[in-house]
Amino acid sequence: MQADINWLDDPETFRVNQLPAHSDHHFYGTKSEIGKHSSFVKSLNGDWQFDFAKTPADRPRDFYQMDFDSRGFDSIHVPGHIELAGYAQIQYINTWYPWEGKIFRRPPYTLNSDKLTPGIFSDAEDNSVGSYIKEFDLPNNFENKRIIVDFQGVEEALYVWLNGHFIGYAEDSFTPSEFDLTPYIKNGKNKLAAQVYKRCTASHLEDQDMFRFSGIFRDVNLMALPAIHVEDLDIRPTVNNDFESGILKVTSKLTGDNLTSSTLKLTVTDAENNLVATQEQSGNDKVFFDAMTFEKVNLWSPDNPYLYDLLIEVLDADGKTVEVVPYQIGFRKVELRDDKVMYVNDKRLIIHGVNRHEWSAKTGRAITIYDMKSDIQTMLDNNINADRTCHYPDQIPWYYLCDQNGIYLMAENNLESHGTWQKSGAVEPSFNVPGDNPHWLEVVLDRARTNYEMFKNHVSVIFWSLGNESYAGSDIAAMNKFYKDHDDSRLTHYEGVFHTPELKDEISDVESRMYEKPENIETYLKNNPKKPFLDCEYMHDMGNSLGGMNSYNDLLDKYPMYQGGFIWDFIDQALLVHDPISNKEVLRYGGDFDERHSDYEFSGDGLLFADRTPKPAMQEVKYYYGLHK
Amino acid sequence: MDYTNNKLHVIYGDGTLGVGGNGFHYIFSYERGGLESLVAHDKEWIYRTPTPTFWRATTDNDHGSGFSVKSAQWYAADMFSTVESISVTVDEKTFEELPVAPFNNQFSDKEFAEKVSLIYTYLTNTVPHTTVTIAYTVTPDGQINIKSHFNGNKDLPDLPAFGIRFIMPTTATGFDYTGLSGETYPDRMAGAEKSEFHVDGMPVTPYLVPQECGMHMETSALKITRTTTQNNADNNPQPFSLKIDKGEKNFNFSLLPYTAEELENATHIEELPLARRTVLGVYGAVRGVGGIDSWGTDVENKYHISAGDDIDFDFNMRI
Repeated sequence: MQADINWLDDPETFRVNQLPAHSDHHFYGTKSEIGKHSSFVKSLNGDWQFDFAKTPADRPRDFYQMDFDSRGFDSIHVPGHIELAGYAQIQYINTWYPWEGKIFRRPPYTLNSDKLTPGIFSDAEDNSVGSYIKEFDLPNNFENKRIIVDFQGVEEALYVWLNGHFIGYAEDSFTPSEFDLTPYIKNGKNKLAAQVYKRCTASHLEDQDMFRFSGIFRDVNLMALPAIHVEDLDIRPTVNNDFESGILKVTSKLTGDNLTSSTLKLTVTDAENNLVATQEQSGNDKVFFDAMTFEKVNLWSPDNPYLYDLLIEVLDADGKTVEVVPYQIGFRKVELRDDKVMYVNDKRLIIHGVNRHEWSAKTGRAITIYDMKSDIQTMLDNNINADRTCHYPDQIPWYYLCDQNGIYLMAENNLESHGTWQKSGAVEPSFNVPGDNPHWLEVVLDRARTNYEMFKNHVSVIFWSLGNESYAGSDIAAMNKFYKDHDDSRLTHYEGVFHTPELKDEISDVESRMYEKPENIETYLKNNPKKPFLDCEYMHDMGNSLGGMNSYNDLLDKYPMYQGGFIWDFIDQALLVHDPISNKEVLRYGGDFDERHSDYEFSGDGLLFADRTPKPAMQEVKYYYGLHK
Repeated sequence: MDYTNNKLHVIYGDGTLGVGGNGFHYIFSYERGGLESLVAHDKEWIYRTPTPTFWRATTDNDHGSGFSVKSAQWYAADMFSTVESISVTVDEKTFEELPVAPFNNQFSDKEFAEKVSLIYTYLTNTVPHTTVTIAYTVTPDGQINIKSHFNGNKDLPDLPAFGIRFIMPTTATGFDYTGLSGETYPDRMAGAEKSEFHVDGMPVTPYLVPQECGMHMETSALKITRTTTQNNADNNPQPFSLKIDKGEKNFNFSLLPYTAEELENATHIEELPLARRTVLGVYGAVRGVGGIDSWGTDVENKYHISAGDDIDFDFNMRI
C-alpha cells in the first residue's frame, strides 16, 4: 500500500494499518524489571533529522527512501512542538478555527451536501509539514521478535515509513498510534520516517481552546513483543452491595504463536503484599479468568486510594516466563441511584474538581513526569479531588498517578468542535460536526473506543466524557451508546446536550453545564430535575478572579443532587520567551507572536500561573474544597 | 525644636498649616489641597498629596462584563478630582476663612494646641459631581486620624473602589500587617488565615495582563518600612517605618509600586515602569472580583459598591 495525501481531506480515513486500541498496561521480560525499564521497550526520543515545509506542495516527496540524501535536514528534539522549535508561527485561539479570516473552509459532507472537497487540506496554504527521520539500531534482544512502533501523540496527521516501505497513517493527536514494523524491520540499522501534517479533517474535531501546535509532541517507543504477548487486559473489579466484599473478573487477549500451549498465571496481592488471589489458565486468543471473590475488600477512594497489585505471568510450553504484566487495580462502586444522586462507595459523590490542560510554559503540551507529579501534589495540597482532562486524553502516566493518589477522573475524548456551531457566543450549527452526519460518525466513535480501550482499567476514571462543546446529535449519542454497551461501572458525561434537550434521554447521565449562575442552578434543582447536576466548568479563574465561591458551596449544603464541579482551569497557558527589551524571561500569550486571529490573554485562566506557582486565589479553593471532605 | 509642653506646635504659614511635635512635623497645604509633608523622625513620607481614589485596575472579569466601561467616569475622578474647599479647626476653633496672609500676621512662632483638624472637600470629576471629604486630625503624640466620607449619589455608576491613595517618595522594602493571609477581596477571603504577616518588598501579583492585585482585606494594623529617601543630605541606611492602625473598623489596603492607572496601562508585567515609589491605598470599600465567567457576568450584587450610598471609614497614622 502507498501513502495517499488525499486522506487528509477525508473524514472517513483516519487510521490506516494502525493497530487496534488496547489497554495501557506495561509489559516486562521479568518481574525484576517491573517499575524500572522494560527490556521490551526502546525509547526513540531524542534528536531526529527534520525538514520543515510551509505547505504540502513544498514537502520532500521521497525522504523516506533508503537512498535519500538527508544531509540537508535540520535536527529537532522529539518529543516537542514544531512551533516551539522556531519553524512555524505560534498561535493561540479559542473557538474560531485557526484559519479564521484567512481561508474559507467548511467540513466535508456538510454545506456541500454529499461531497468531499479535494485539496481542502492536502493542497492548502496553511498546512505545514514536518518530515522526520530517525535511524536506529535494532537492539540485539529485539531480533526475531515482532516489532511495534508507538507514537504516543502526534499533531495532527501522521504518515509512517520504515526502510522505504509505507507503514501506516494516523490522526487523533492525543492518543497513541501503534504500527506493526515486523515485515520490514532489519537487524542492525533501520530508517524510520514520519511525515506530520499540521492540519487534516481532524482539525475540525480538534478545535480545543489552546495554543495550536503540530509535531511529534509525546514519546515515541519501539517495542518488541515476546512470542506470546498480552495485548489487552480487561480488569473488572466490582464491589458488592454490602460495600465489604467484591468480585474480580479478568479477561485477556493474547497474540503470538502457540497460544494454546501457553499458561497464564494470575496473582493479586494487597498493599501489604499478602497474596489474596491466584489462578492459572491456559492460553488462547482470549483468556477468561474465573471470577474471584474477595470477602473483604479495601475500597479505593480519594481519602484512601487503596490499590491491589495484579500480576499476569505468561509461561510458554516449557514453563518459561516470556512476559510479565503488572497492573494496579482498585475496587470502587459508582452509582446513579433512584434518588438521582451519584454515589461512590455508598457515599454521595462531591466533585472538588479542576479542568486541566497539559501545559508547560517552556515546552507547551510536551510535559514531563515531573510536571505531572507536581500537578498531583498541588491537587493534594489544596483538597482538589477530581480532574477533567480537558479536552483530550492525557499522557498515560497521568491516569496511573490519579489511581495512586486518589484523584477522580472525568476522562475526556479528543473532541471539541465549537468553531462549527458557536459563532461569537451564539448557537449557529449550520455546519456542525459531528452532528448527525454519517460521514463523521466513525471517526468520533473511534475516538470513544480508543479512550475506552486505553483507560478502562483505571479505577480513578469514574466518568467517560464524550468531549466538549461539540453541540449534540446522533453521532454523539452513538458515542454515549458505545460507553453504555461496554462499561456499566462508570457514568457518562456530556455538557453539549444542553443545546439539544430532545437528546437528553440518550446522552449523559448528569445535567452538566458550564459557567451557570448559582441562582439558575438552584432553579434547576428546585424543579424536580431528571438528573443530578454537575458544573463541568465553573469559577472561571482568569486573571484576578475566583470571587463568590461561597454561592456554589451553599448549593452543596442545600441540594444532594448538586454534586460539585470542575474549576476552569488548572494552569495558565502562556509561554516563557526572552524579551530583548527588558532582557528578561517573560510570559507571552495570544497575539504576542504577531498571530491573528487570536484570543489574546484568554488562556490565562488557571489556578496556577504558567510557571506552576499558585495564584493567590488558591487559598480560597483549598478552603471551600476542604469543607466537604 | 525640643517640644517640652506636650502640645502641638502650630505654624500658621502663608499657604500652609504646619503642625509639629516630638519626632514629627506635618505640613497641610492649601494650594496643593492636602497633606503635603509627613516627616517622622526626619524622614519624609509624602511624595504628592494624598487624594481620594475610586479606580482599581480593570480585572479580566471587569473587562469581560463591561464594568469598566460602565464605570469609566471613576477613572477620570481617580486622576482629576479637585479640592473644592478646606476647613481648618485648631482646638475648638474653626476658622471662618483659611488662616492665610494677612489674617495670619496675628500669630507668632509660639502657637500651641491640643488638636488640629483639617477637612478637605473634593469635587469628583463625574457627571453629576459628588463630594468626598478627607478629614485629618492631629494630636500631640503625632497620630493623625484620617476620616473620609463619600456622599452617595444614585445617578452615578457603581464604584470600583473607594479609598485614599498615598504616594511615598521611595520604594518600601517590605511591610508587616495584622489581617488576612494572601491577596483577598470581599468575595474571596473565606479561605484566608488571620494572623500577623510580613511581606518582603511590594509584590505585584504576576497576572498575565497586569490588573488590580495585592488587596488585603480586614486589616487592623500595618507597618510600612523603607530604607531610602530622596533627601540628598540623608546618608543613613537604617530602616524606618510608618504605622497605620484601624479606626472604628478594620481597613483594607494595598501596597504596590504602581498606581491603578499604571497597572491599567500595561499589557505585560515587564511593561510596568521601573519601581520608584510606594503607592499605598487605604480602602473603605472594595468591589469583589467575581468569578462566574469572564465574558459577561458581573460580580455578584452583594459585592458591588453602589454609588447611591454614603461610605465612611477612618484609620490612624502613627509615627
